[in-house]
Amino acid sequence: MRSRFDEQLSILNTEMIEMGALCEEAIALASKALTTGDVSLAENVSAISSDIDHKERDIEARCMKLLLQQQPVARDLRQISAALKMITDMERIGDQAEDIAEIITYLEGRTAEETVHIRDMAAETISMVTDSVDAYVKKDTELAKAVIVHDDKVDEYFDRIKGSLIKMIAENSENGEYALDLLMIAKYFERIGDHATNIAEWVIFSVTGEHKSS
Amino acid sequence: MTSKIFRSIFATSLIVLLATLAIITTFLYDYFTNIQIDQLKDQLSIASVGTEKSGKEYLEDLKSDNFRLTWVANDGTVLFDSQADESTMDNHLDREEIKEAFETGKGSSSRYSATLTEKTLYEAVLLSDGTVLRISVNRASGFVLLLGMAYPVVIVIIIAVVVSAVLAHKMSKRIIEPLNKLDLDNPTENDAYEEIAPLLSRIHKQNMKIERKAAELNRRKEEFELITKNMREGLILLDKNRSILTINSAAMTIFGTDENCVGNEFLTINRRHEITSAIEKALTDGHAEIRASLNEKEYQFDISRIETNGETVGAVILAFDITEQADAERLRREFTANVSHELKTPLQTITGSAELIENGLVKQEDMPRFVGHIREEATRLVMLVEDIIRLSQLDEQTELPKETVSLFDVANEACKVLSDSADKKDITLSVSGDGGNIYGVKHLLFEVIYNLCDNSIKYTPDGGKVKVDISETEKEVKLTVSDNGIGIAPEHLPRIFERFYRVDKSHSKKSGADTMSAQLRQKGGTDAVRHSANGGTGLGLSIVKHSVQYHGGKISIKSEENKGTVITVVLPKNE
Repeated sequence: MRSRFDEQLSILNTEMIEMGALCEEAIALASKALTTGDVSLAENVSAISSDIDHKERDIEARCMKLLLQQQPVARDLRQISAALKMITDMERIGDQAEDIAEIITYLEGRTAEETVHIRDMAAETISMVTDSVDAYVKKDTELAKAVIVHDDKVDEYFDRIKGSLIKMIAENSENGEYALDLLMIAKYFERIGDHATNIAEWVIFSVTGEHKSS
Repeated sequence: MTSKIFRSIFATSLIVLLATLAIITTFLYDYFTNIQIDQLKDQLSIASVGTEKSGKEYLEDLKSDNFRLTWVANDGTVLFDSQADESTMDNHLDREEIKEAFETGKGSSSRYSATLTEKTLYEAVLLSDGTVLRISVNRASGFVLLLGMAYPVVIVIIIAVVVSAVLAHKMSKRIIEPLNKLDLDNPTENDAYEEIAPLLSRIHKQNMKIERKAAELNRRKEEFELITKNMREGLILLDKNRSILTINSAAMTIFGTDENCVGNEFLTINRRHEITSAIEKALTDGHAEIRASLNEKEYQFDISRIETNGETVGAVILAFDITEQADAERLRREFTANVSHELKTPLQTITGSAELIENGLVKQEDMPRFVGHIREEATRLVMLVEDIIRLSQLDEQTELPKETVSLFDVANEACKVLSDSADKKDITLSVSGDGGNIYGVKHLLFEVIYNLCDNSIKYTPDGGKVKVDISETEKEVKLTVSDNGIGIAPEHLPRIFERFYRVDKSHSKKSGADTMSAQLRQKGGTDAVRHSANGGTGLGLSIVKHSVQYHGGKISIKSEENKGTVITVVLPKNE
């Protein structure tokens, strides 16, 4: 009975990693579409996003089944409850990647200008998501803490981008719509950073049993 | 085992005790019954003599509690009874022992009382007057006897149980002890029961066998590890649940992990979708191949399913570093594209000029200029093709005739050829040093110095200086070409030896263009402008690099933007 339970937990673990990988892929693709202006890439993001949604439902069902049938305690219970929380954040990351991709299709081939730092912000966010999934895989609380600290950098980028976009509108008001679209994209990246932080916090919870609610 | 032995001993002693008790009781009961019957007979014979002599009075005097005397007349009426009133008693003629005594003179019988708790023994004798005298005695039955003995028997049994329990416990322990103390690692050295000697020797043999097998397995494992450890390719074995069974050090480097990942799922070391889906594909289809870049390197992954008796047991992943190969492939692709492009541009100029002439659009006085263009471009084509041939010769590593060459002489020769173009830009071209004899291919060495100086002249502004210096050590000759030209930006330095690589995307535009090129520019002929200005093929430095490599030398470059460039070539003398 126990070994069956362990097996189920390991399947859950695998599915979590797969879902994390899908999230990474979605935002990597969205960011690539942003730098190359390739609208077809952006369209693929929504396919991945729906995969992520399916995965969320699968994992949710599995967690519920485990909770009801096995009535886990202590560490196992923490792992399952943390997984339940994490998939919500992962699903939001997928949705936000999809939203970014949607805005990219409105840009009509215009790419993010280098002066706006939005590419750097995208790169930072991707590394945050990658690190948070890595922290989950390796049960590495140090890495998870690094992710939480990293979020400040992404927030900083958001402020900087906001500033340069204001300047852009002031210089040439024709760029207004474009600048606003970029601002939305930056906001979504900033939100993704927050979700990565949440994931990292739940990783720490599942390992240590302490959740830093801030 | 101890408890089993204990139980056996205990049960045996208990059974023996009970059986003994039963047998002894039975025998003793029978024995005492017989003795009693004999006594009865004796007493009866005494009583019968007395009765015959004195009659009823004798019997009345003979009082005894132990036995009962009954005198029966020949018609069965009781004449006397020692324990009851004879007048109330029934006719005794039907009693077995009395009937017997009337018939044979003697009779005996025994009867149980109604409650079965007592047994009455009867002896009867026929007296001479025809009457029968009967004697009887009551005794307890065997059952009652046993009941009476119950108390001591229970005590005996309890004592026996306790004693046998203690003894059985001790004995079983003593029997088992040597077995528990057996040293199974050295079974032959034990001094226990000889009955288990065959078992021990068998264990000994099996121990040896296991040791041999373990050693062999260890050796094989070490061999396998040694082989995989020194493999340049990454090797990972997965079981059918995609967990890592083995990973070699090359694979650890590729995936940036350590040996702790063994036992975990592959997903934990890499979750790239293309790789995991390739593993799935290999597990279902048998084989998969993908290319993926990890940590800025290109890898090819060959994944194969492992089967035993038609059942999938896992997969093996082989990772090849194909970064160099991929680079070479990219270079080749670029080269092909560049060559076609570079060949096309002069041809376009030629075709364009020829078309204009053909359609009579060129005035007679412009004719020499147009024909000149055609000739110039044709010459360029020839140069380009010559360069390509030279490069491919160098690529093929064809053996070329070698001789002793003085690098100083070659440098002077090259500078003489270049003096015209240097003079045009008012550039001072000087050669210093001496000798520098090396054993090599003269025309290749000429190409090296010519191309380096040509490049320096091209990228040095008017009135600049280009210096060639030759010095030698015992085994090597050092050639330095330095200028005070525009220099090369650091980001271009690693790539300047690539074929058709150009630093100066804008340089040619500065040189201006004539009407002809301006017309052609609309057809995408900007390169033609650049070439007509520089006269280079974009292959010069490539030829230099390959020529130096051909001679086993080294080339290094130092450059600062707007200050100048120093290129140093060190060639072995090979004398």
